[in-house]
Amino acid sequence: MDNHVSLAFWAALEWSNLFYAFFGTFVGIAVGAMPGLSSVMGLTIVLPFTFTIDGTGGFFMLLGVFCGAIYGGSITAILINTPGTANSAATCLDGYPMAKRGEAGRALSLSTLASTVGGLFSAFLLLWTSPLLARIATNFASPEYFALAVFGLSIVARVSSDSILKSLIAAAFGLFLATVGLDLFSGHPRFTFGTVYLMGGVAMVPLLIGMYAFAQGLTSAEESGRGVLPPSQHKITGILPRWDDLKAISGTLLRSSLIGSIIGAIPGTGGDIASWVAYNEAKRWSKRPEKFGTGVPEGVAAPEAGNNAVSGGALIPLLTLGIPGDAGTAVMLGAFMMHGIVPGPLLFRDHTVEVYTIIFGLFLANIFMCLLGYAGLRLFAKIPSIPMPTLLPIVFIFCFIGAFALNNNVDDIYFMIVTGVVGYALIKLGFSAPPLILGLILGGIVENNLTRSLVLSNGSLAIFFTRPISCVLMLIALSTLFVPAIRFAVKQFRRQPPAAKAA
Amino acid sequence: MKRIGCALALAAALVLAAGWAPSLDYPRSPVSIIVPYGAGGGTDLIGRALADTVKGSFPRGIAVENRLGGGGSVGMSYGQNARPDGNIITNITVELVTLPHTGTGGDISHEKFIPLIMFNSTYSAVTVQKSSPHNTLKDLLTAAKTDPIQVGNSGIGAIWHLAAASLEQAAGVEFIHVPFDGAAPAITSLLGGHIDAVTVSYAEVVSQVDAGELKVLAVLAPQRLPVAPDIPTATELGYNVSVGSWRGFGVPLNTPPEIVAWLEKTFTDGVNSPGFVKFMKDTKNDIELLSSAEYAKRLARDYEMFGKLINDLGLSK
Repeated sequence: MDNHVSLAFWAALEWSNLFYAFFGTFVGIAVGAMPGLSSVMGLTIVLPFTFTIDGTGGFFMLLGVFCGAIYGGSITAILINTPGTANSAATCLDGYPMAKRGEAGRALSLSTLASTVGGLFSAFLLLWTSPLLARIATNFASPEYFALAVFGLSIVARVSSDSILKSLIAAAFGLFLATVGLDLFSGHPRFTFGTVYLMGGVAMVPLLIGMYAFAQGLTSAEESGRGVLPPSQHKITGILPRWDDLKAISGTLLRSSLIGSIIGAIPGTGGDIASWVAYNEAKRWSKRPEKFGTGVPEGVAAPEAGNNAVSGGALIPLLTLGIPGDAGTAVMLGAFMMHGIVPGPLLFRDHTVEVYTIIFGLFLANIFMCLLGYAGLRLFAKIPSIPMPTLLPIVFIFCFIGAFALNNNVDDIYFMIVTGVVGYALIKLGFSAPPLILGLILGGIVENNLTRSLVLSNGSLAIFFTRPISCVLMLIALSTLFVPAIRFAVKQFRRQPPAAKAA
Repeated sequence: MKRIGCALALAAALVLAAGWAPSLDYPRSPVSIIVPYGAGGGTDLIGRALADTVKGSFPRGIAVENRLGGGGSVGMSYGQNARPDGNIITNITVELVTLPHTGTGGDISHEKFIPLIMFNSTYSAVTVQKSSPHNTLKDLLTAAKTDPIQVGNSGIGAIWHLAAASLEQAAGVEFIHVPFDGAAPAITSLLGGHIDAVTVSYAEVVSQVDAGELKVLAVLAPQRLPVAPDIPTATELGYNVSVGSWRGFGVPLNTPPEIVAWLEKTFTDGVNSPGFVKFMKDTKNDIELLSSAEYAKRLARDYEMFGKLINDLGLSK
């Protein structure tokens, strides 16, 4: 066994493998940073190349794209308040305010560090604890998925500080959007208005581009036209994170990495959910939760460590069970099959060296991601200094290209524009996009797994509380929802006696 | 002289016709194969493997796109209503002739497709956990008479739900049917012991069977599967049930015949290529190749057959 591991280690360090990992990571970061170009698209673009590469080099390229794209999404999230992929939507919350203050370099530096730590942490878990985490994957049944999604929804109560009522309205609207399309249990079309376009449900990527990039572009154009927006001044003092920031985020990094790895190991849940949960937990355990949303280092580090930790976690069900948890790992499953490797319970026995080489490849991809991130940091950080009249047309062009490139479907562009206008209206009315996005991501999981759980339990709701994992998740969800209210009530109660005395 | 001139002109025309006439302007754009099921399931993997073997014939690329939902009707509806220019090829499956009968197929119809080729057939395998107390099909069906047995499938009205339902009918028992979004999550749920059995295809459970996690009690096939000669058929065990699925490619009606012919030939070559044959063997899938014309007859025949089955089962709309 040890012999296999050291063989794999040296195989991973071959020059060709280093090159493929580097190239893949580069492509991944570029693809991730463009709103609309997703990691799946990057993976499918490089997939044909990987078939022509002998040995494990092709997987190194795929792993590079996989990790790089998750990280790349944070760059635009921080700089122009537009997540490059759904994974980085939570990074906007604190990353953009920090960049707006003129600290784009600091935010990018934090997100690069957090992404690397998250990725490496999950690679270590993949190396040492795969069998254990694989068991978590099979222990997750419909009640657990439902409870996890309910917990995810309860985060709405925390992520948006302005108006809880407006957040709930936005989340409900997101849930409503998630019901569009054919129903899994009866096959009936819902809210499709007779169109084929809506049969498969609301298209996520055009919606993200519209809600974030297009709507943000409209707002910036308006402010810039009125001359409200001062030209941003960005000073980059150093590209490495500051010592006090490191101290502030160390606990957050570990917690978020663990959360991301576990959520990644559950098939069907990915970086988008992990980043929100990590953000929420960072806020829950913070000594200054009220500062979240104003540009605190933990707020940038938590979602980025969380979503990059998904990379190692997601490989666990793929390698140990042969089950891809998302579209990205499904592409990798295809690549395995093409190389005559069938992932599944026998993979570690039949292809020991290849599997360990691939795991070491994940380490390499994360290291290259770190190097490329810091090397490009000064360049990226200049983007907000580009004058609005130059930057905005570029952003709008990318909105159109990104929406179209997804499926080469013009309807996606129209849909993107519609959601962009809706997003603009929401901003003007004081609603925020995150609760809506959360509702949309989680709505399908909530509904399908609620119905399936009730089929399994013969209609009894007790199923959500008699199973340990599901029960714990439900309790956390309830506490997330009610603890702020209880705390508020207690505060009021404590305040009363002195007031009564004074009277 | 005039005659010679005519003859020359005719000859030249013939040469031109032979050499350049079928100057097919296809494929000019990237081509998509719509897989109406989740990535990583049986349909998806075979579709991807076949797309990969023919990628040399598509200079602008050929990519697999998963459009899931509605037990397969979302993807197939998208595919049949696409522009008939050959740029959208649909991985059609048996649901094309089952869902219209259950009334859950939206607007899908086998008459709106021109079938290109069929390349695979597969049959339901009644599968339980290795540690399950049920060691034979009879054990499971006897237990179902007294206890609730939860059987996972890949969507209501989908083929593996029909398989479980027709087994119910033949054995005179009732299962609790649990629908999932594709076969992979149903298998994961069985591995975790959250359901009692699945009736998905043999190919989809084989790696877990080899690893000793799951066991197959019987296959619902007309005869034993070439890839699994030790597993009995339900018919041998006294339950006359045979429900299977096939996979193939189709393009929208009105696609130009020369494009259809080109695609049929390209994919037939792909199916016969050593790489694809090896892939199918490695992943324990059977190849069953039908030409466009044969496939069209099969579609019509199966449409009738499933119509009767679904009606008998009381699942029709």
